[in-house]
Amino acid sequence: MIKLDKVDKVFPGTTVPAVDQVSFQVDEGNICVFVGPSGCGKTTILRMINRLVEPTGGDIYIKGQKVSDKGVNPDYLRREIGYVIQQIGLMPHRTIEQNVALVPRLLKWPEDKIKPRVKHLLEMVGLEPDEVAQKYPHQLSGGMMQRVGVARALAADPPIMLMDEPFGAVDPIVRGRLQDEFLRLQKEMKKTICFVTHDINEAIKMGDHIVIMNKGRLVQHGTPMEILSNPADEFVKDLIGSDREIKLLELTRSEEIVEHTDEIPEVVNKKDCFIQAIDPVQRALETMMKKDSDLVGVRDGESFIGTISWEDIKKHINRISGDQA
Amino acid sequence: MEFEMERFISALFDRSPPHAVEHLQLVLIPLTTAFIIAFPTAVLLTRRRFIKYTDRVMTFFNMGQTIPPLAVIAIFFPFLGLGRTPALFALTIYALLPIARNTLAGLKGVPQDVKEAARGMGMSEWEMLFKVEIPLSMPVVMAGVKISVVLTSGTAALGALVGGGGMGAVIFAGIDFFRAELIIAGTLIIGVIAIVLDRLLTVIDNILTPPHMKT
Repeated sequence: MIKLDKVDKVFPGTTVPAVDQVSFQVDEGNICVFVGPSGCGKTTILRMINRLVEPTGGDIYIKGQKVSDKGVNPDYLRREIGYVIQQIGLMPHRTIEQNVALVPRLLKWPEDKIKPRVKHLLEMVGLEPDEVAQKYPHQLSGGMMQRVGVARALAADPPIMLMDEPFGAVDPIVRGRLQDEFLRLQKEMKKTICFVTHDINEAIKMGDHIVIMNKGRLVQHGTPMEILSNPADEFVKDLIGSDREIKLLELTRSEEIVEHTDEIPEVVNKKDCFIQAIDPVQRALETMMKKDSDLVGVRDGESFIGTISWEDIKKHINRISGDQA
Repeated sequence: MEFEMERFISALFDRSPPHAVEHLQLVLIPLTTAFIIAFPTAVLLTRRRFIKYTDRVMTFFNMGQTIPPLAVIAIFFPFLGLGRTPALFALTIYALLPIARNTLAGLKGVPQDVKEAARGMGMSEWEMLFKVEIPLSMPVVMAGVKISVVLTSGTAALGALVGGGGMGAVIFAGIDFFRAELIIAGTLIIGVIAIVLDRLLTVIDNILTPPHMKT
């Protein structure tokens, strides 16, 4: 869906490349997270995909089409790509409704199509349309503004979203909630998403695929599991931190180790011992302890998909430490 | 110098009104002209292609304000002669700087994140200018226009010295004939003109100011 081929960026007046020979590919419907310290080039990569920054070398393709082709108008390109930034950047002089309707209006949608779309989007990101639509951004809380930012990026239903620390400006509790809600949304939307963060935990939680950057170079890429269980070098190890094994439990989604069955075991039902598929395995442990059970049921939304037992978790830990050895 | 109420009232209501109208013209014509010149120029100077000329052009506007209007008239005397035209010309040059400077400041003050988001959403440069940058810089631009109005209202009194008319004619007559009534009446009316124009601009300002910036 999105492909980078040996992309370079040297900013004028500097000699050290901000992005150095980076190649990778993001598959359709995936969240690809770029993670690394500040100045590692992750934001620059994002901004090169929608041509806010022009690369000095290499090529970027979206759906096989080179974005730097002469026929591609950067403004039109950007209207087809959702864009969320940490500072949100809502138009302070426009109402929430006008903010969300920005791209549809640029695309000259008929007005009678825009109104219901805005309402639907605000509901989708968990806001009450009647309450907020006519308000101005400064009248909302930080968390609400972030939601509006996401709604605005989704307005014209772009197949691709670029998100630059989209939940960075809110406190950890709200951030966690926004992340959960966004993952739930993404399950239905199946957008192709490039997501930038400096927080490895967020990367592991959000990413189908993680790209680790340092000093403009791509250091390692792979699934969160691949990266946690097999860090490429000292830098990646440092980035992950010393609590790698615990993190794996915290950050492995339950669905990854679930034993699929259709039948709900009686003990699970009796103790009402259920977790959600996207909950971390750690939640499974907590639930086991709280409900005094060694088996938890896993649900995906309303439907039951399988169980996780204490043995499954132990096996999982062993497998990771086995990889480590 | 003596002061007679009757003379004062006559100066205020009989002698001044025609001059007040002239004075208003001496303020509004240069101001409008200055706005038509300074505002688009300043907007252009914030565009990427023209940003390198900013210093040079602003130096020119600065000069316009440091040279006293009378000197401007003197410099252009060979071309424009005396009367209304050189007075209007000098006042226009005088009014350019505050408008240009505030337009620049206003446009530069538009939050970077808002511009980044607007561009990232796919707004073209024109759409950004008219839908984001100009609306958000309006309060600062209008502050500049107000400074120019007050400045020009006072300076326009000098127009009378070169035969340009205006309230200056009343004041200078008062000085020549040693009549306090005329001086005070003239000054008073200039003050009223400045205040009324300023209030008027405040109303316009209120209409143009984005809702979130209203206090």
